[in-house]
Amino acid sequence: MIPLAAAQPVIPDFGRGSSCVRENGTFCWDWVSAHWGDTLRPALVQHVALTLIALAAGFAIAFALALAAHRRGRLTTPVVLVTGLLYTIPSLALFQLLVPFTGLSRTTAEIALVSYTLLILFRNTLAGLAGVPEEVRDAARGMGLTRRQLLWRVELPLALPAIVAGLRIATVTVISLATVAVFVVNQGLGAPIYAGLQQTFKTELIAAGALCVALALAADGLLVLMQRALTPWTRVARSR
Amino acid sequence: MQDFVDAFRFIADNTALLWSLTLDHLALSGAALAIALVLAIPLGVTLGHVHRGSFAAINVSNVGRALPSLALISIGVAVLGIGFVNVMVALTVLAFPIVLTNAYVAVDGVDQDAVEAARGMGMTGREVLWKVELPLALPLIFAGVRTAVVYVIATATLASVAGAHSLGDVIVDQATYRLPGVLGAAICVAVLALLAELLFAALQRAVTPRALRLEERRAPVMLGDPPLTKERTAPT
Amino acid sequence: MKQGTLRTILMLLVALALTTGLAACGTRGDGKDLSGGSTQASSQPGKGKPSVTLGTKNFTEQFVLGQLYKQALEAKGFTVALKQNIGSTEIADKALRSGQIDMYPEYIGIFNTAVAGDAKAYPSVEDAFAAGKAYAERHGFTLLPLTPFTNTDALAVLPDYARQHNLRSVADLAAIRGLRIGAPPEFRQRETGLVGLARVYGIRDVTFSPLTIGLQYQALDDGKIDTADVFTTDGQLEGGRYVVLDDPKNVFGFQNVSPIVSTSVLQKEGPAFEDTLNAVSRVLTTEAMQRMNAAVGIDKQSPADVAQQFLQANGLV
Repeated sequence: MIPLAAAQPVIPDFGRGSSCVRENGTFCWDWVSAHWGDTLRPALVQHVALTLIALAAGFAIAFALALAAHRRGRLTTPVVLVTGLLYTIPSLALFQLLVPFTGLSRTTAEIALVSYTLLILFRNTLAGLAGVPEEVRDAARGMGLTRRQLLWRVELPLALPAIVAGLRIATVTVISLATVAVFVVNQGLGAPIYAGLQQTFKTELIAAGALCVALALAADGLLVLMQRALTPWTRVARSR
Repeated sequence: MQDFVDAFRFIADNTALLWSLTLDHLALSGAALAIALVLAIPLGVTLGHVHRGSFAAINVSNVGRALPSLALISIGVAVLGIGFVNVMVALTVLAFPIVLTNAYVAVDGVDQDAVEAARGMGMTGREVLWKVELPLALPLIFAGVRTAVVYVIATATLASVAGAHSLGDVIVDQATYRLPGVLGAAICVAVLALLAELLFAALQRAVTPRALRLEERRAPVMLGDPPLTKERTAPT
Repeated sequence: MKQGTLRTILMLLVALALTTGLAACGTRGDGKDLSGGSTQASSQPGKGKPSVTLGTKNFTEQFVLGQLYKQALEAKGFTVALKQNIGSTEIADKALRSGQIDMYPEYIGIFNTAVAGDAKAYPSVEDAFAAGKAYAERHGFTLLPLTPFTNTDALAVLPDYARQHNLRSVADLAAIRGLRIGAPPEFRQRETGLVGLARVYGIRDVTFSPLTIGLQYQALDDGKIDTADVFTTDGQLEGGRYVVLDDPKNVFGFQNVSPIVSTSVLQKEGPAFEDTLNAVSRVLTTEAMQRMNAAVGIDKQSPADVAQQFLQANGLV
């Protein structure tokens, strides 16, 4: 039968939201604590997951490319061109462009996020390796180190500060862009942000937005500490 | 591939729409940058001149660089409602730290010998600032402005989800404009950002005294070095 | 720093990168969408059947419908992956045709006009359904029986504005010069949108503001637009805060919901699948949907919770 004959349903009382929520007050703490478990925390966890996966993959790829370019200088320009091109595409567009190929899935989001990390990580790793003084390399070769040993025992350790600096920028970039991933897959802090925008629900907007900012600052801070730990010699007071 | 070709056809067929949205895009970006510049440059220059507040000035940029753009826009919507003003404020907040830090480091880092010499010649503090420090600091200040301009233009694309208008309107509306439209608008944004970058790069070169230009070429700068001379901040 | 320590740190970084990468490959591609839902044990005709991907469009009622169908199916042992908030009708249709989703809840009028490209005005909902069903079947999809409730687009104005311009029905809007309409972008070319309004009511002198769904009420309140495109079951319409204009010529059509499912998936899942969905559709009256939409839209409950409470109260989970 079309439409189906309506069986009168039992409509339960869903409960009223607090007056703060109903009036759409600027920040309703009660909503945040009530929905931390089902909305905000899962989004935060997914966001961290999205970020870590993108950074891991991006780092792996950029690192391999940088090592190759360090060996064969000619590779640098094409790599910079391609990764630079990817970097320029507005994220909103890149996500949508990938959907026909990889679908509305986390894979699509990750591919786009990884693309944005490549330029930064590649350039910094390469610059770090290139920045090793020639005298140091000569000395190492003079000591009889093979090329591989030279790379792993001398060049990479000296390049570490630059690599970590690049990681730092890549991290906050990915955290920021992962919010836009909501247009492809309903995960990450972009989900409550978008849901909040669709209803202009102030509390959700502020809660999700603040969480995202806090996450970015925390990640940045963590990496600064790591950067300082690895390069104590840069903590020199400015001479005045 | 076909979509890519169609993207250019889309641009050709929809110049009026894209032009109107480009103007909206520039208006939004321009307003945000204007406010950021008016606030950040005097503040940064003053702090750099008196050599105070280095911790704050440098770290505000680290914090600012980390701020996720959509998150800021979302908080802005909550506090200021949808529309032009809210997004403009969010963009200003994103641009401010970049300009501030560069202005501070630019003036603070002026060769102290030049300053001493000027003082020795009897110049007042004010004259030193305007006649010595600012001219020498101009290139780096411009570098900050340039970075901020590109960043804001790229980020303004997100304005469309918050009720303001920009080229993002097309990118967000795949339903109406289909993939070629999305691509076409994306190309427009990229071109806009590129043009801005070239324009300000030229301006930066124009205000750099010849001697400093040569020095810059000799010392390559990595991303991640403070201050933010050649650094590109996050895309949107 | 000691060379050994540096190497250890580098090794740790690489190890971390690899572990995270492997962990990612280990988990299911989509992970858990933010959609909660409970699984309760009862008779389980769905056990062992292949997983179904259910999509929902980009507004509140769709989220609720998605949760209702999902949880009811899961209670019967089916495995459902929910892709929430995919986008507009056009995006959802594309996702369905390309196999990214297997089903989604569609409105019969929108299906005919926006998906089937059929602008014919049907005299009754049965006729509209028959036409839609025929089209769907030709393309490998099945339209399941309609819900009792209908949720059409409508134009709403502020009460003061209605008084000022003496507005009762949409026809009265034709007299207003430079009418500012706010609606989702796709409204511009829809038969159940600007195209139909121009053709049927002669409303042509219009300034159109594309707005993400959900922003239109704010825009109306702020005076940025004169009239907004709303849905008749929106929670915000409770309490008479807005005046909904009549649509005597039925431009906005019949909009009962029919879950559209890929026919091959329907066959694979067996008859219990269809029965479960119909059991849910049967109890979705206009009042029920309005109350659920209000709970989510106004009281800001989560769609998963609201759906669960409703299904429990009606013995469907």
